[in-house]
Amino acid sequence: MGDTEKIETVTGRSARGSSRRKPKNSQLPYAIVLIALVGALSWFLDQRDNGTFWLLLTGLAFGYILQRSRFCFTASMRDPYLTGSTTVTRAVLVAFAITTIGFTAIKYGYFINGLPIPGMSYVVPISFATIAGAILFGIGMVIAGGCASGTLMRFGEGFQMQFLSLIFFIIGSLWGAHDFGWWKYHFISKGKSIFLPDYFGWLGAVVLQLFIIFLLYIAAEKYQEVKSNH
Amino acid sequence: MSQFKDTMVKISENEFYKKWLRIAWPYLTGAILLSLFQIVTLATTGNPWGVSGVFANWGAWIYEAFGGNVDKWYYFSSPGAQTTLNNGFINDSGTWRNIGIILGALLAVLLASQFKLKKLKSTKQVIAAVLGGTLMGYGARIAFGCNIGALFSGIASLSLSGWVFGAAMFIGAVIGSKLLVKFFM
Amino acid sequence: MKEVILDCFGEACPIPLVKAQNKIKELEIGDILIVQIDHSCAMKNVPDWAREDGHNVEVEEIDDGEWEVIIEKVK
Repeated sequence: MGDTEKIETVTGRSARGSSRRKPKNSQLPYAIVLIALVGALSWFLDQRDNGTFWLLLTGLAFGYILQRSRFCFTASMRDPYLTGSTTVTRAVLVAFAITTIGFTAIKYGYFINGLPIPGMSYVVPISFATIAGAILFGIGMVIAGGCASGTLMRFGEGFQMQFLSLIFFIIGSLWGAHDFGWWKYHFISKGKSIFLPDYFGWLGAVVLQLFIIFLLYIAAEKYQEVKSNH
Repeated sequence: MSQFKDTMVKISENEFYKKWLRIAWPYLTGAILLSLFQIVTLATTGNPWGVSGVFANWGAWIYEAFGGNVDKWYYFSSPGAQTTLNNGFINDSGTWRNIGIILGALLAVLLASQFKLKKLKSTKQVIAAVLGGTLMGYGARIAFGCNIGALFSGIASLSLSGWVFGAAMFIGAVIGSKLLVKFFM
Repeated sequence: MKEVILDCFGEACPIPLVKAQNKIKELEIGDILIVQIDHSCAMKNVPDWAREDGHNVEVEEIDDGEWEVIIEKVK
């Protein structure tokens, strides 16, 4: 991916387009000011001793990584259909695989020591509400040009549009929270939470899941080959 | 002052600077580093990464600031949810993580010297943002999260719900793509 | 041989990419398509797609956070 910039330097002074080129500037001073402000903010949070400063730091890391690698969960779902590319989709699958291994290692460590397994609140009941909610979410993120993390990231990048969608994301969340009781009563309470190790054992669950991710990866690669040959 | 500016411009044209702060990483680098911080997050906080649950709390705080009351809502009725709301946003770690994502992205673009304010340019964009944002918010609440909490963290937690969410979200993304091409381009 | 400018300033993904894909189909071999972009993600996926498709691609940063992706249609 680095060649993008290399080509830029080679042709930077080419005749084409140079008329629209503006004088060079640097935003580094602003970056230094921001680093100072963030440092002060994390110091302030650290003083409160409630663990929030650590979450601020991981948030900074997530935001920096998302922006710098242009990682986009929306693109991973949208591009296969819209543009025929599965590059981002495959990167997301790799993330799923690595995180599965890391998470399972931690969870298994707690399990084998007879401790309560962490993060089990993310194993949630499967019901019609899961499907309906996911479809609504899928439509929304493509139209708004970013999912939850993507909206936050693009707001940071200076998009007014994603700032607006963030506001309505909050309004929609409040609306959803308001109706949650209805969904819970009619659908969610009838759904079942399925933790794969309960059915396949710890090793079986990990192997099965990694195998499925591997198959999806191969399928994604083949899909892009077929699409780009047209 | 202009000498300072010249130095900064010189730094931004330095190859070493470009390599470390400017050139976009491959998607795979992003995948590996995000996974690393996901694992770090579970190990240190006892919970995976989530984003959109926090937005419901933000909504509740704003609603209460305007005189509303969510105490009777089933969603906020659990003792845990009540404690979070009563402690306020300054003590809510999820809030600070989301603010961190915004600031981290801003820092990345400023360090790369690529920041630009992108104004809303058409009514189409306004409608897309309003509609898309609302759909995402509502959908995430009834499905227990967004593509981070319900999908990424769900699948990595070996929960079948993550896979179901992913399959349905893919259908939603196809419908969304059709709508986007037809109405919002 | 002609040069076409596609103004995608202020557009978020995937609009610049889809517009560029549609536009390049209308062009003749040897024509130049210049896509103006200010979205850092599109600055990656538009050139990636164009290279994958086999065209000649150059990226030029014309201002902080503004790029021109110059695509020469070769097939």
